[in-house]
Amino acid sequence: MDPILIVGLVVAIALFFDFTNGFHDTANAMATPIATGALKPKLAVGIAAVMNLIGAFLSTTVAKTISVDMINPGVNITAQLVFAGLTGAILWNLTTWFLGLPSSSSHALFGGLIGSTMAYFGAAGVNFTKMIEKVFIPALFAPLVAGLVAFTATKVAYWVTARSQAERKAKDISTGRNKFKVGQIFSSSLVALSHGTNDAQKTMGVITLVLVAGGFQATGDHVELWVVVSAAVAIALGTYAGGWRIIKTLGTGLSEIRPPQGFAAEVSTGVTILASSKFGFALSTTQVASGSVIGVGLGRKGGVVRWNKAGQIFLGWVFTLPAAGLVGAMSAYLTMQGDWGLIIDGVLTAAVALAIFTISRRNKINATNLNSEVENASEVVLSARQIKAAAKKKKKADAKASKKSKKKGKK
Amino acid sequence: MIAINIDWNAFLLVFIAAIGFTTLIVGCFSIGVRLLTNAQNLSPKARKGNQTAQTAESLNLVGAYLLFAVCICALAYGIYLIIPFLPH
Repeated sequence: MDPILIVGLVVAIALFFDFTNGFHDTANAMATPIATGALKPKLAVGIAAVMNLIGAFLSTTVAKTISVDMINPGVNITAQLVFAGLTGAILWNLTTWFLGLPSSSSHALFGGLIGSTMAYFGAAGVNFTKMIEKVFIPALFAPLVAGLVAFTATKVAYWVTARSQAERKAKDISTGRNKFKVGQIFSSSLVALSHGTNDAQKTMGVITLVLVAGGFQATGDHVELWVVVSAAVAIALGTYAGGWRIIKTLGTGLSEIRPPQGFAAEVSTGVTILASSKFGFALSTTQVASGSVIGVGLGRKGGVVRWNKAGQIFLGWVFTLPAAGLVGAMSAYLTMQGDWGLIIDGVLTAAVALAIFTISRRNKINATNLNSEVENASEVVLSARQIKAAAKKKKKADAKASKKSKKKGKK
Repeated sequence: MIAINIDWNAFLLVFIAAIGFTTLIVGCFSIGVRLLTNAQNLSPKARKGNQTAQTAESLNLVGAYLLFAVCICALAYGIYLIIPFLPH
């Protein structure tokens, strides 16, 4: 096959990975503001998309090469190898999205590339020590650090804004905790911006790698403008599409989040991510965000954390690298068979992706039915007073509706 | 033999910075919320011309806005850290 065709295919599939990366990770920034009502769902994903777009353009100066230091130097990374690795990453991203599990897109990408490298060059091509250092250990620490930080922040927020029952009754005043919603708009936007600078550059790095390997670009010391633009647009579109299933899990599946908790979770996520990149201890945004949500869930008196959901998520993290690697390796064997193998691999990936999308439509979760889902999910943990209020509201609405229908009948 | 090399210093730095800055930001915002709510609770009295309530209201408001300004500074610092081509 013409090398330009192969490179074109890799670019296309890399951009598709970028898209899944975006919609997989919308939840990191926007699950909590949507859950507390600080932002309407569509507005939230819109802001996240714009932030990711801006972030992608900001990050290009550092996106010179992708840091796949888990793959030993000397391994000749070809377009076919990258293609196979990307299929593994995409299929794992789609599977976890379908299951509503927040999992690291970067780990899926590493897993896919490692699997395909092992298929091509055997275990000698992979640096397992680096894998443990960069993937497994951080996966244990990220939720612990973020959880502890978020727990403390929540305690502080509630302690500072607390008003005693007597005080509230005597002066007829509120705690003003809804004001945290305003803060949430800023804190969640910052998380989205940092996501854009981090994640879009991975796709840019992969594309640049393949362009250099294919001889279409002399050196990997810069990123072509069209690569920057297409990667930025792909991640922004993906973010705007919104991985509603994961938003639901992070926003309401793990715990019921109120405005002070939402603000505490987002600030914890943002600060932990910034600190980790500043001091060179790389942590996954997804894992940090999940840890924050658990931390704020534990931090509020009466807060509930659904540990079985947390367990499922953690299991998903454990499987991310091997599962994406397995698919990457199987794809690699296909691409080794020559051009037709590559084409079959591409078609198979597209077919599986399409199948997952089709099945997902049966129980669709999107911006319009997300909020009703949110209300349903939180009913379990509503206080008696809140349930009464909700019933009253419903009664009123019903009465209004019946009045309307009566009026219509008269006419 | 696999020698796992974890940079515990970096890890500790991340943890301390994260918990310190987060507590600072959330703490400032929370106190700001409390003061702002104080001011709102005082405002009916203040509008009636109660001198002490008026002073207390404005003091609470000034405090709240100062604390929110601290939060905005933290936000600006965060953006500064995110943008790679700014000198660090």
